[in-house]
Amino acid sequence: MNNISRRSMLAGAAGLFVAPHLTRAQAAKPRLTVISQWSAGSDGAAITALGKKFEEKGGTWQHSPVPGFTTEMMNKLRAQIMAGDPPACSQLKGPEIAAWSKIAPTVDLDALVAAAGYEQVVAPDLARLHKPAGKWISLPLQIYSTNMLFLSKRAMDKAKADKIPVTWADFNTLAQKMKEGGVAHPIANGGTRPDDGQKFEAALAGISPVAYRAAIMTLDESALKGPEVKAAFAQVRKIADWMDPNTAAQHYSTNLQRFVAGDMGMMIQGGWAQGVLLNAGFKLDDFIIAPGPTDNTKPVFLLNADAFIFWQRKEPDLQAGQTLMAQLVMDPAIQTMYSQITGSIPVRSDVDLSGAGWSDGQRQTAAALKEAVANNQAVLSVAHNMAQENGMTAAMIDVITEYVKNKAITPDQAVVRLSDAVEGAR
Amino acid sequence: MRDRIFAPSRMLIYLVVWLIATAWLVPFVVVVLNSLRTAEEIAQTSMIGWPKQWAWSNYVTAWAEFCVAQTCAGIRPYMLNSAIVTIPATIISTMLGAVAGYAVSLWRFRGDQWIYGIVTLGIFLPQQMRLLPWTIVLRDVGLINTLTGLVVIHTIQGLSFTTLFCRNYYVAIPPELMRAARIDGAGFFRIFWRIVLPLSPPILIVTVIWQFTHIWNEFLYGVTFTTGQQQPVTAALIALSAAIADIPQHGVQSAAVMIAALPTLLIYVLGGRYFVRGLTAGAVK
Repeated sequence: MNNISRRSMLAGAAGLFVAPHLTRAQAAKPRLTVISQWSAGSDGAAITALGKKFEEKGGTWQHSPVPGFTTEMMNKLRAQIMAGDPPACSQLKGPEIAAWSKIAPTVDLDALVAAAGYEQVVAPDLARLHKPAGKWISLPLQIYSTNMLFLSKRAMDKAKADKIPVTWADFNTLAQKMKEGGVAHPIANGGTRPDDGQKFEAALAGISPVAYRAAIMTLDESALKGPEVKAAFAQVRKIADWMDPNTAAQHYSTNLQRFVAGDMGMMIQGGWAQGVLLNAGFKLDDFIIAPGPTDNTKPVFLLNADAFIFWQRKEPDLQAGQTLMAQLVMDPAIQTMYSQITGSIPVRSDVDLSGAGWSDGQRQTAAALKEAVANNQAVLSVAHNMAQENGMTAAMIDVITEYVKNKAITPDQAVVRLSDAVEGAR
Repeated sequence: MRDRIFAPSRMLIYLVVWLIATAWLVPFVVVVLNSLRTAEEIAQTSMIGWPKQWAWSNYVTAWAEFCVAQTCAGIRPYMLNSAIVTIPATIISTMLGAVAGYAVSLWRFRGDQWIYGIVTLGIFLPQQMRLLPWTIVLRDVGLINTLTGLVVIHTIQGLSFTTLFCRNYYVAIPPELMRAARIDGAGFFRIFWRIVLPLSPPILIVTVIWQFTHIWNEFLYGVTFTTGQQQPVTAALIALSAAIADIPQHGVQSAAVMIAALPTLLIYVLGGRYFVRGLTAGAVK
């Protein structure tokens, strides 16, 4: 007892000694250590611009990009957490936010989110991902759609068509017309895993967003074996038959020239592809952008969103930095700046996209999101790791990729394979 | 002699060799050509094609201009980082491997074969499996996020290969030579210095080539255990690969790949003739 009181006295004395330094540190300039995989190109430019804004507000910006795939960044994050030195803030997305939040303590952002009124302007499914245990610990920064439809003007001319397809039936009719009109491959595609995954998720969500939610997002067993999933695989087979098979592992942009020239007809990509087309030197009237096919004619939006998670730090300057960063990320002006650089759309549904600096692709994407949210048809992309954790996603994409490439597999077999893969990864 | 060169079997061998060489060189030719084409030209035509106008500026951009995060200095500072890690790690691991290989091949001591076995076991451990243990080690010795930490990792991990190479080479040294030296009163290090090392250049060159290439091209540890401006050249190269919403900069990327490959190419050109000879030395003993 005696011992303890002496210790607490010592601590009190030390506290007195330290206190002036503490207050001075709290007033010290905000500092932020950040890990992301955004290093070069428009991604690098956007986060650097965000860093500049952070510095303009009097902060010190310490960004360490980890170039490459997400796994590399996760390795780095794990190493920093194990070394007892987590970044104050790091890029993370989808269900991985919930998984990683169990590894190290995160910052409770509820008060800041409430002050910014952020919850009211974020799509509900998206908001849920960023508050895994009911509290906001991470903030979404930008949104991409994965299922916008791009039509080649020259391919449309060859097909003598001018109507934009709305349902999958319209889509199939148009593709058939293109094929008959001399378009070598009615579908333009790349050969990466997300590419194949995007075809499947666009098909299923377009056929039935309700089935997509049940089968892919909540992994409901009967939905996974349901008729919609089978219909989606059948649609993917049609798409695969219209694709150029010689694109293994290629980036979708490799085929943009053939798309614009009318050798390929339609492309299912994010709205960002408009920027890619323009940067490659093509013109706005080379192509048309529309929401992805949807059988109930109301837009379905497959969400892919980037976010920051905030890790607990004791240093007052880092804490001040986290507060400033959170405020910046939720700021409509910052989201505007960011999305205009990367080609995404803002998370906030109240940002006006009518001004200069926004492209038609972005306006269409934002309009589709608004309508999809209103009709509860905004769902999370599985191809881009938004619907499930990495292991489950990989198991599902394995089945889809094999199905796209191996035409001997029937839709019936694919349904069984998919539900088996889900069972195995559960 | 002439007859033998033009004999049908010879011609067939040359044909096959040329075919294989061509197949291997095609990707390289594509990279060289693309390093001289603009990104726009590649996007508007095809990945494979002859440059319409020679875009030498790709090399300038790659060497000194493109941006990684806030720093726009091209590949140059990252080349320096890689050199700072690769050169000492190559030299130290080669020297230690030579001594270790000499010890396990020419000296008998209790457990020598076990030690040799355990050291070479490192060859078979996948990189990812060693990532977390290294994290803990670097954290505890305070070398996380330093280039010195990378030198330590590559030196220690390199020991598996360098010991294996040197041991296999040194077993060919006749035991009589060792015995004679010992009768003359030479000890462990004197024999190494006076007898073994002068016989070693071929295997040391092989080991240096092997280590240099591997460490220079390493990526996983390079990005995990460094931060910001300390990253190796492989990280800068990966940074150039396209994000989903970007048009890939194939031109600058190819130029950067060419520059980044120069040091390893140089090492091969200088020491290549020893490479196959050294690798197979002792293999049949």
